[in-house]
Amino acid sequence: MQELIVDRAAIGYSNALIIEELSLSIPKNKITTIIGPNGCGKSTLLKAVARILKMKSGAVYLDGDAIHRLDTKEVAKKMAILPQTANAPGGLKVYELVSYGRFPHQKRIGSLKKEDYAAIDRAIEVTGLNEFKDRPIEALSGGQRQRVWIAMALAQETEILVLDEPTTYLDMAHQLDILLLLKRLNEEEGRTIIMVLHDLNHASRFSDYMIAMKDGELITEGSPEDVMTCSNLQQVFNIDASIVKCPFSENPICLSYQLS
Amino acid sequence: MTKKVFSRFTLMMSIFILLTFVAFYFHVTNGIFDMSVRDVCKTILRINPNEKYDLVIFQFRLPRIVIAGLVGIGLGIAGTVIQGVTKNGLADPGILGINAGAGASIVIFMYFFQMSSITSTQSNFTSILMMPIFGFVGGALAATLIYLFSWRNGVLDMQRLILSGIAISSGFGALSLYISLKMNAQDYEMAAVWISGSIYNANWTFVSSMLPWIVIFGAIIYKKSPLLDYFQLEESTAKSLGIKVEKEKSILLLSSIGLVSACVSVSGGIGFIGLMAPHIAKQLVGIQHKYVLPMSAVIGMFLLIISDYIAKTVFAPSELSVGIVVSIIGIPYFLYLLVKLKV
Repeated sequence: MQELIVDRAAIGYSNALIIEELSLSIPKNKITTIIGPNGCGKSTLLKAVARILKMKSGAVYLDGDAIHRLDTKEVAKKMAILPQTANAPGGLKVYELVSYGRFPHQKRIGSLKKEDYAAIDRAIEVTGLNEFKDRPIEALSGGQRQRVWIAMALAQETEILVLDEPTTYLDMAHQLDILLLLKRLNEEEGRTIIMVLHDLNHASRFSDYMIAMKDGELITEGSPEDVMTCSNLQQVFNIDASIVKCPFSENPICLSYQLS
Repeated sequence: MTKKVFSRFTLMMSIFILLTFVAFYFHVTNGIFDMSVRDVCKTILRINPNEKYDLVIFQFRLPRIVIAGLVGIGLGIAGTVIQGVTKNGLADPGILGINAGAGASIVIFMYFFQMSSITSTQSNFTSILMMPIFGFVGGALAATLIYLFSWRNGVLDMQRLILSGIAISSGFGALSLYISLKMNAQDYEMAAVWISGSIYNANWTFVSSMLPWIVIFGAIIYKKSPLLDYFQLEESTAKSLGIKVEKEKSILLLSSIGLVSACVSVSGGIGFIGLMAPHIAKQLVGIQHKYVLPMSAVIGMFLLIISDYIAKTVFAPSELSVGIVVSIIGIPYFLYLLVKLKV
């Protein structure tokens, strides 16, 4: 079952084309991770999927509909996006930010109904933020803040969650914490999760499906076993990697590496 | 939590409405011709009307206070919107060049229609009604130019918006000056006073010409005010939530241009109200724009009525421009913000 299909997308900024032609499809109810070196176009691709960047040609299909032809509010009911750098304005409280996630479901802006409150409470509950509800966001730690943004995306009640490097700037324990939360959301609620990660071992451990990109092109895709091979990593990152099995998840991980 | 904010909002609104009444009281009773409260009440309630009092209250003081209030409301709202949309706490309608654009086109209007003859007879009703429209055209023209310069890759670049606003503003300012120099002496004097921002020649025609603008655009903006909360997030976040960011920002900006034009057409360029009112409002009622917006409107109304009262009385019988009084209060406040905000 395919949920999100990128069809012959050309994406770039006014003077530079980052992705010339890229097609891929992302499976439903799975965790898919995009990996690749800096500047390979991962974030650009996510921006196009998130309709922040307009595509030069091609299209992204969501359940069979091209997203640029759908009303942007309808898209927001199906797909929530967590940007790489998310800053909240000073003084904004956790509960308020999470409530912003209800925007696509509101007929009148800013008026919350019973089901909105229910969704917000659920999102706060799932992300374990109950005790921080009334705190201003700037008073939270990095890991808690990332949870707040995930809670906002959850309040949106979408099937798909798109996250651009959700673990950046977090320490090891908090990185794992966020990924376990995402895993739980995938397993318990069947949400489709699409993310970009830099940590290959995390990607391998938590993904059902991996996509490797380089220079705006798709290099390889498949299960972590298919993607995390010495030859693939050599091709994508120019590294000689020593691959072993993760003692926790049995997935292939990169023990250490050197530049080739 | 929401309840707490709401009650604080109600309290602050009541305080400032009360303060406005105090300012109104000073303004209406004091002047070259002092009147007691009883006289004022009697005149307004039509008890033993007296022609002299009628003239002072209904022809001079009331329209002037009403205009001050309306301009304050308009600038307070427009300032909130412009700061919210540009995510810049130091932006105000003046900085964006809207003031100057509307001002230049009104000076042109004065030049061609010989405003001094119109106001002295107070007969040419349509000309006065035309002024906000002219102002709007000028303000919209300035805004369009600013838009063109700050539009990059299909998005509105807020840094460029402010920079080009400053440039456009000086351009239109120069144009106003040039045209006002070509006017006859009487018109020039009027234009000069008007440019520096004053409302002492207010009358009911001005009130009726600007009221619909304030009501209509104020209502549109109020309805859209929660969107301003979303605009404080990263633009990408707002977009992925399904907000048509460019469209909504344009509606909000155009509506504030409408407000500012109406204000400028009757009062000239009054700066700093649009800067101060939203900041004071945010300190009082928090950051949610559905509260900030009405609060800022009321604060703007109060500030301008009290400033106009000061302008009227401090060097009586001669008058200061209210714009100058506002600047005298505003400049230190602006510097204070600059230090405090560390932008």
